Amino acid sequence: MSASAIMFYIVGALVLTFGILTVFTRKIFRAAVYLLLSLIGIAGIYILMDMQFVAALQIVIYVGGIVVLIIFSIFLTHSAGERLPSRLPKHLFWAVFLAATGLLLSAHVIYQFNYVASTIAPIEHSVKNIGEQLIDFRKYGYVFPFEVVSILLLSAMIGSIVIAMKTKKQ
Amino acid sequence: MKSLFQYLKEVFLGFYSLWTGLKLTLYYFTHPRKEIITEQYPENRTTTINIPERFAGEVILPHDENNKHKCTACTLCEMACPNGSIKIISVQEESEDGKKKRVLDKWIYNLGMCTFCGQCIDACPQDAIIMKNSFELSVYNRNDLVKTLNKPGSKLKEKE
Amino acid sequence: MIGFSDITKWIHDSLSSALSPGWVLASEFVLAGIAVILIVVVLVVVMIYMERKVAGFMQLRLGPHRVGPWGTMQVFADVFKLLLKESFAPNSVDKFLFNLAPILVLAVSFMALAPISWAPGLQLWDMNIGILYITAVSSIGVIGILMAGWSSNNKYSLLGAMRSGAQIVSYELSAGLSIVAVIAMCGSLSVHDIIMSQADGWWIFKGHLPILFAFIVYVIAGTAEVNRAPFDLAEAESELTAGYHTEYSGMQFGMFYLTEYINMVVIAMIGSTVFLGGWMPFHIYGFDAFNGVMDYIPSFVWFFGKIFMIIFFMMWFRWTFPRLRIDQLLKLEWKYLLPLSIVNVVIVAFITVMKWHF
Repeated sequence: MSASAIMFYIVGALVLTFGILTVFTRKIFRAAVYLLLSLIGIAGIYILMDMQFVAALQIVIYVGGIVVLIIFSIFLTHSAGERLPSRLPKHLFWAVFLAATGLLLSAHVIYQFNYVASTIAPIEHSVKNIGEQLIDFRKYGYVFPFEVVSILLLSAMIGSIVIAMKTKKQ
Repeated sequence: MKSLFQYLKEVFLGFYSLWTGLKLTLYYFTHPRKEIITEQYPENRTTTINIPERFAGEVILPHDENNKHKCTACTLCEMACPNGSIKIISVQEESEDGKKKRVLDKWIYNLGMCTFCGQCIDACPQDAIIMKNSFELSVYNRNDLVKTLNKPGSKLKEKE
Repeated sequence: MIGFSDITKWIHDSLSSALSPGWVLASEFVLAGIAVILIVVVLVVVMIYMERKVAGFMQLRLGPHRVGPWGTMQVFADVFKLLLKESFAPNSVDKFLFNLAPILVLAVSFMALAPISWAPGLQLWDMNIGILYITAVSSIGVIGILMAGWSSNNKYSLLGAMRSGAQIVSYELSAGLSIVAVIAMCGSLSVHDIIMSQADGWWIFKGHLPILFAFIVYVIAGTAEVNRAPFDLAEAESELTAGYHTEYSGMQFGMFYLTEYINMVVIAMIGSTVFLGGWMPFHIYGFDAFNGVMDYIPSFVWFFGKIFMIIFFMMWFRWTFPRLRIDQLLKLEWKYLLPLSIVNVVIVAFITVMKWHF
């Protein structure tokens, strides 16, 4: 086993462990921290795949943005410091049942799929190439999704400004 | 357009006011020998120490060269003192023309109770007492803190 | 003259002759890590001494001057005291997160040092997204602060952590945009490429006024990102005792203190790399004799000189300006720095397209 395979298994085990801990911890702030560590682990997997740009974006967006937002909303909730109540047996049964069904279904699909080693040359993943492809309108260009996402973000921004705006009292 | 101009003006005025402060601290930083006011006390107590004139150390009753002071024993300072650290002891004295007059006998000052508030100085109508800028006031015996400020044999200074 | 690349090559060769390739790599990792930690700790010691002297002089005091010649041993005495103190955790804190937070904060600030180019041929990892990596990694640090504030189970700590979170998340934007201005002109995110593009003049001179403006914005936002005065609301002594590290003592507090200074070093290093040419000597295009004279000054002198210049700026700000209120802080970012930097980036993009920069 090569060093990168060992690294992959270590990082993968960490991602899975922290993912499981995220779900099973009874303290909500700790859940956010475990989620954060799991997301950092995913960034590590991207780096192992030599996709540093994607890894950096993963950290900027998920760790610097989304997890901080989650933590802020946890801070603002009422009883964030207390342990969550233990689960009812009825809920537990349904949770286990649904999770097992989902796991079996995805395992079935994965084992059915016939994986073949790809012969396509790996794409060039420099920042310049990614940037050019993002605003490319020819084949394999991503300008349409890019524009759709920017319209979505713009409408979200306008919406938040409208919500936060104070009307002047007459 | 006008509001944009106002906005940019605000930014520049902000930077200008910040620069004013930065200039002053940079001046202090580049002129340490001239500007630093820290006294390295135990080392320089006999040499370069500089205690400001108006530092309120202890109350004294100045005497001139003829051993005369200005205190009329009116006890206004004693009444003004919030901690009772002043005690004026006066005696009735008869002068040549038969007039009875109150004369200072002992101006007692308890340094251990004084908070150096300076109200006695403000209260004195004759400006007889002042505050000296001495500061090494500790003694080994508590009794030494109670001082008699008028010197033995001193007299009231006549008004010119 | 022996360059740093010769030294690293010599170490690599002598290790290769003794060990197998995998162990060579492993031992080089360890050596590089130890070297970086040593350099940074020495830098931090110098900076703490410098901070106290600068603070003293600016406040008409003498600063430390009793322990050792001119007080140079004061820092070591303080560190020694911190090492001897007990790392005490109060009763009702979340012990796991409480102990994890200082380690996370410190580790993150060390991670940001990986792509820094110290001198020609002396760089740990020349990744093609160097600057983006530093900004990404330094954004993890805020989680450590939030963790410390939350797990301390103390309202001052929690308030400090929330302020710090709001502050870092918002000031990252304008810091990022001011770096984007240079990256647009230079066309690369790699630290090495950015430095090499400044061989005929630093960007702050080549890029006209927009880059100068970006530099000013960067220094302001950088000061805010490391929670230093006038943006030290996260640990405002007079209102929050010590903010998020109120409950920490001993070396756990020492880690937070160390982190503050390492973050300062990192901010100064990015600033000097991006705007002031890193280790590149001061060159003017066309003046070959002058450039030749400048080349005789060693590159690490240039690099550390620039770093300490920016650090001096930050100390100068700290001991001059009063602390901002939280609403003033957010107003400064969202109403002034961010719109102006966005306009600035547009201007820079226009200059770059028209090729008006040198």
